Amino acid sequence: MPYGTVNADLMTTSDGVSSAGVYGFKNRLINGDMKIDQRNAGAAVTAGTGTYTLDRWQAYDSSDAVFTVQQVSDAPTGFVNSAKITITTADASIGASQYNYFQQRIEGLNVADLAWGTASAATVTLSFWVRSSLTGTFGGAFYNSAYNRSYPFTYAISSANTWEQKTVTVAGDTSGTWLTTSGIGVAVTFDLGTGTDNTGTAGAWVGAGNIGADSTVQLASTLNATWYITGVQLEKGSTATSFDYLDYGRSLAQCQRYYENNILLGATTTSTGYFTMQSAFVSKRISNATVTSAGSYVVLNQGLSTITLGNAGALSASTRYSDTLIISAEL
Amino acid sequence: MYKIQKSIITNEDHGVIRLSDNAFIPFSQDNTDYQAFLLWKSQGNEPLPADE
Repeated sequence: MPYGTVNADLMTTSDGVSSAGVYGFKNRLINGDMKIDQRNAGAAVTAGTGTYTLDRWQAYDSSDAVFTVQQVSDAPTGFVNSAKITITTADASIGASQYNYFQQRIEGLNVADLAWGTASAATVTLSFWVRSSLTGTFGGAFYNSAYNRSYPFTYAISSANTWEQKTVTVAGDTSGTWLTTSGIGVAVTFDLGTGTDNTGTAGAWVGAGNIGADSTVQLASTLNATWYITGVQLEKGSTATSFDYLDYGRSLAQCQRYYENNILLGATTTSTGYFTMQSAFVSKRISNATVTSAGSYVVLNQGLSTITLGNAGALSASTRYSDTLIISAEL
Repeated sequence: MYKIQKSIITNEDHGVIRLSDNAFIPFSQDNTDYQAFLLWKSQGNEPLPADE
């Protein structure tokens, strides 16, 4: 093969891999292969209104249906885990304002280069593996932080209980406000049964929030229906490329920017009976994080890099205490 | 249910305690748990006052 100078902005190999998204942070979704589950370690969790399940993945249920989310080992070739959703109570008549969905909110810093909301908005491609006990046309959507711009999309599941890979390519939104800060940049949803107040026409940007597309399968209406997903990737460009596999350590570190548990820290109390621990967290911004103490201590102060704990003055002075903390700075 | 929490450094209200799990939620617009607290409050609920 001769060598020479290539004057090109985009190179695409014969197997469809392009230079546009190969280097760096190709997959803008974190834990797309569903292998990190710090909170539940494989146990099923019942969805509420914004329940975090597997790391970075959030479940919403405002309907009369009940569903669980669980990390399982059922996965297509090339993956070890998937997220399984099971409808444990069906809602045969989902109201117009009710919703059931599974989503990830991507931090604005991680999609800033997409330039959404400008004339230079980049095209993106969402790809994922999915299987369900139901067949038909399912829906999802992209939406912004203010929930006033959205792009509903559909995908078809043709065979029940069979892993299928789906691809959705979307020309970036040239309108609206899309955060490029540490807030919510882009949210990607998979609709499990949502009323008409929050669904819209598939395949077009609209100046309103939506969770899914009109007239799609409502998984939440069928008792014991299941829906699995893994290998979820959102990348720049109009082609779905191979999944961006990361080693476990890097995947965990990505997740720990937003959530960490079992963090054991200790310090010696002051003469007034509280103790201040230096931050040793990966979490995004400790001063903005929700902190849960396993030792039932009370957070008395939270600085940029420290947490001060006490217990209503009941701690002994000049004594060593430690505590196990959970830090959550989810979007 | 929530309870207001004062900072021992500033002695000012700096967050709320979510009583269901004793989690501390700072007054930060970027915190989703704080947004949930604001929604709860907008529905006519009031947190318990801070300890004096």
